[in-house]
Amino acid sequence: MQKLIELRNIVKEYEGERVLDNIDLDIYDKEFVTILGPSGCGKTTTLRIIGGFETPDSGECHFDGKIINDVPAYRRPVNTVFQKYALFPHLNVFENVAFALRLQKVPENEIIRRVREMLDMVELRGFEHKNVNYLSGGQQQRVAIARALISHPRVLLLDEPLGALDLKLRKDMQNELKNIQQRTGITFIYVTHDQEEALTMSDTVVVMADGKIQQVGTPIDIYNEPVNAFVADFIGESNILDGVMIEDGRVRFSGKEFVCVDGGFEKNAAVDVVVRPEDVDFVSPEKGMLTGVVSSVTFKGVHYEFIVDIGGFKWMIQSTDFVDKDEVIGLSIDPDAIHIMKKSEYSGKYGDYSSFSDELEELSNAESVESDD
Amino acid sequence: MKKRSLGGSIAAAPHVVWSIMFIVAPLLFVIYYAFTTSDGTLTFENISALSMYQDIFITSVEMSVIATFCCFLIAYPLAYFMARASERKKRVYMVLLMLPMWTNLLIRTYSMMAILDDGGFLNTLLLTLDMAPVHIIGTKGAVIFGMVYDFFPYMTLPIYTVISKIDNRLIEASYDLGCNNLQMITRVILPLSKSGIISGITMVFVPSISTFYISQKLGGGTFELIGDTIERQFQTPTTYNIGAAISLVMMILILISLAIMNRFSDAETSGRIG
Repeated sequence: MQKLIELRNIVKEYEGERVLDNIDLDIYDKEFVTILGPSGCGKTTTLRIIGGFETPDSGECHFDGKIINDVPAYRRPVNTVFQKYALFPHLNVFENVAFALRLQKVPENEIIRRVREMLDMVELRGFEHKNVNYLSGGQQQRVAIARALISHPRVLLLDEPLGALDLKLRKDMQNELKNIQQRTGITFIYVTHDQEEALTMSDTVVVMADGKIQQVGTPIDIYNEPVNAFVADFIGESNILDGVMIEDGRVRFSGKEFVCVDGGFEKNAAVDVVVRPEDVDFVSPEKGMLTGVVSSVTFKGVHYEFIVDIGGFKWMIQSTDFVDKDEVIGLSIDPDAIHIMKKSEYSGKYGDYSSFSDELEELSNAESVESDD
Repeated sequence: MKKRSLGGSIAAAPHVVWSIMFIVAPLLFVIYYAFTTSDGTLTFENISALSMYQDIFITSVEMSVIATFCCFLIAYPLAYFMARASERKKRVYMVLLMLPMWTNLLIRTYSMMAILDDGGFLNTLLLTLDMAPVHIIGTKGAVIFGMVYDFFPYMTLPIYTVISKIDNRLIEASYDLGCNNLQMITRVILPLSKSGIISGITMVFVPSISTFYISQKLGGGTFELIGDTIERQFQTPTTYNIGAAISLVMMILILISLAIMNRFSDAETSGRIG
């Protein structure tokens, strides 16, 4: 695949605060890229730099091999679907979608044909003369997508476009966006704080935190091989433990020695060990590699979610087997379920479930959504 | 709203009394005088006599239209830059705009006369600079200038308010879809600020067309506007009736033009949410 956008050492500061710290990123043609991170991580600023709404303080933004730092937004072959859509309230659905074509002085009959085509694609046929202010959130969203795609941009930027929709509609739109992207072959750069959305839709996920890119990879890579404690915790649930790499394939944590498949560390190097909650099996206490006491059980539908106290460290474990609260159990972990990471600035901040509760997590999620606006 | 609570009626009472005393009653007086002779008999002669003021009417409308248009040309860019400035600058601009309005309108007009008069400040300055003096007072231009100077803040404020409320994302969206700066203004800002423009036009046109002191002071008595005519009729008790008739016709004309303009803005803004 061909490189379409290259960001090189992009730095951006607002009032002395560094929002983007040396961003280096390659985006390939026809790719669905998601920039994922918590609020304030710099993901929207990155998108706005590509769109031409912000100028980086230093660094270069290349498009198709040319530097476009000084190219204004209206001359970039890039269109945006804005957060909350930003439809023009004084124009009806047809004129909103036709906006870019009118600027290009496209003949009227071609405008009619192309707007029809776009409205068909987003399933809004017959809505031409509707007032955009009276459409539902999902319909406004579709108008915004049609409006951005009508001039066949090389790249479509989407800034949390599904944030204002309810869960069911969001799932439908995720599939639809993915479909549209595959049919049109346009590069999509999608910004979200929702990790599930990122894993579902993307070819490539870019995880950002604190103005830095933490990891770039396919959804499967990001989930299975997180590079540090931040990524491991942000994507899915993780138990993150302090460990020592005795030698390649042998790691020590929770007071025991385990066989693992990772290597390439110095002997006796301090590492972070990640074990996903679904990769731990319950066995009888005598057979277990580790033993622990169940301190809480929550029914989740497909599986149960347990918090298990193992030598003072609280693990999250998901299993379809039921064990009762206060029961002593043994745990077994396969070698390939143990993932080893280098120590980072995020070590020790994440992956301990001693203060975990669903309610708290929902609260903090809600906060991050609000403060993102 | 079928039943009014007692508290609501009591709260509304001062306003109702005020409206009756100072709006409804004077209007009734105007109508009464317009259709009676000086000794109180019913007549339509006052209205039919108005045709002799036709030229004055036309001049007044013409000059107020020009003044309103000039106000728009000055006020719109000003309102736009004010609305797009930072919060701190906005406050400063606002004070600067309001400052002249703290001085009485009459005094401002008088001082304009002192500056622009043949022997006034401007011409003295021109003479000391060895330049030819200009005759300004007594021309139509001076009167229009006076109207623009006195009334343009009333055009600026409503437009400023409307532009300030336009979501910045709409502006970014227009750039994103290919607008340059000029197209962004003509295709997004201008249509979205129509309601502000219409209130601005109303707030400048109405006082312009009924002014009398601006034309008296800056017009130097060389010509008459409809406001002067009305004022003159009320100087002597015997011509009250004709003055009332002119006022009534003026009022009706203004109401009609306001209704047309409101229809215009309603059609544009209906259905806008938020």
